[in-house]
Amino acid sequence: MTDQEKIAKLEEIWELDEGTLAADTVLADVDEYDSMAKLSLIVLMDDDFGVKLTGDVIKGFETVSDILKLMA
Amino acid sequence: MLTEIRNVKVIGMAAAVSPAWDSIEEMSDEDEATVKRFIKKTGVSGRYSASPRQTTSDFCCAAAEELLAKKNIDKSRIGILIFVTQTSDYRLPATACVLQQRLGLSKDCICFDVNLGCSGFVYGLNVIASMLANTGTQYGLLLAGDTSAREFSTRRKQKEGHSGTWLFGDSGSATLLEKEEGNELKFLSNTDGSGYKAIISPYGAWRNPDSPDGRTHYVVMDDIAVFNFATDEAPRQLNEYMQLTNTTSLDYDCLVLHQANLMIMKRVAKNTAFPEEKMLVSMDRFGNTSSASIPVSLVDRYGEANEGTIKTLCCGFGVGLSWSTVAFNIAASDILPLVHTDGYFSDGYNLDDQV
Repeated sequence: MTDQEKIAKLEEIWELDEGTLAADTVLADVDEYDSMAKLSLIVLMDDDFGVKLTGDVIKGFETVSDILKLMA
Repeated sequence: MLTEIRNVKVIGMAAAVSPAWDSIEEMSDEDEATVKRFIKKTGVSGRYSASPRQTTSDFCCAAAEELLAKKNIDKSRIGILIFVTQTSDYRLPATACVLQQRLGLSKDCICFDVNLGCSGFVYGLNVIASMLANTGTQYGLLLAGDTSAREFSTRRKQKEGHSGTWLFGDSGSATLLEKEEGNELKFLSNTDGSGYKAIISPYGAWRNPDSPDGRTHYVVMDDIAVFNFATDEAPRQLNEYMQLTNTTSLDYDCLVLHQANLMIMKRVAKNTAFPEEKMLVSMDRFGNTSSASIPVSLVDRYGEANEGTIKTLCCGFGVGLSWSTVAFNIAASDILPLVHTDGYFSDGYNLDDQV
């Protein structure tokens, strides 16, 4: 899966317009990246990538690329 | 841990809320997109909120009065009353004692409170069924509820904080148990106290009487820790329960989960092979009703039904961390329609009553 496809998945679960996110987007600047968005991310990572995200890992995410690295 | 209790049956259930239903849109000061997203993800579109003087015990009392009248129960034969809540009327005495006199129960009655939340209905059922099986009395009355909407009314923004601000609703329930030869209840129960900080009201009691900002009555929740706990442990326990009882989702009419959050509930149903149609959802209109969520969901679905027997599989999970599963059957006609009450108990201490 390309980075672009992974970003599209994030945009889909967070209900963002296509092209809103880039790898270097700072998550703190995304209004929609709130508590519910983090839960949606947990579901996506578990279902599609077999990755269990903990609170500490999520706290460590600064940019979109930090998430992309785990979408292996 | 497995508990098996013989010769006890659930013979009635009722739930009460206030007449005041508020939509999230009306309550919120967030932007429209945030509100829409919250409703979609959590499933909560609104909730019933207690009026300023109503407490959990008022809802439980109203539900119990309806239930005892409908079942035409001789109150002198109720020998146990257990009140499960985290929003009791007082630090002391136990609210169960106050409820005993409000309901006109006999002095020959064991009454106490249990401090549990989302798992509290199932834990309470376990405790009361165990005691009923071992005492000479005929009936036990389990009252469970919370006014968590008030506890979570911190007005924190979604972005800054947790999803609790709009998630919770206020209600109370009453469940009646009777000794009956041949019936059996099985419970599986677990606790993980290492997660005690995941949902906590840290200030205002004896450990930390004072808080940094002067406010004492609020709850903080680690959404992610709770989500991971619930989606891991609830399916694990439910699957273990079905294995122990040699049952599958086909053996039950409904899966009654604690109404935590629709995302959690859907994952639990999926990971226990329950079709979503069998999973009861009340939180869309009632919010997360804490220890009343299982009875509220049953009342919501079957309160107006009068035929047949409902085979339930129930799982409560949350604050503690604590979780518990039980299966029981109940006649649809023994589940009462939803009770609305604006009544409250005047004990003479409220400042408004002191002229």
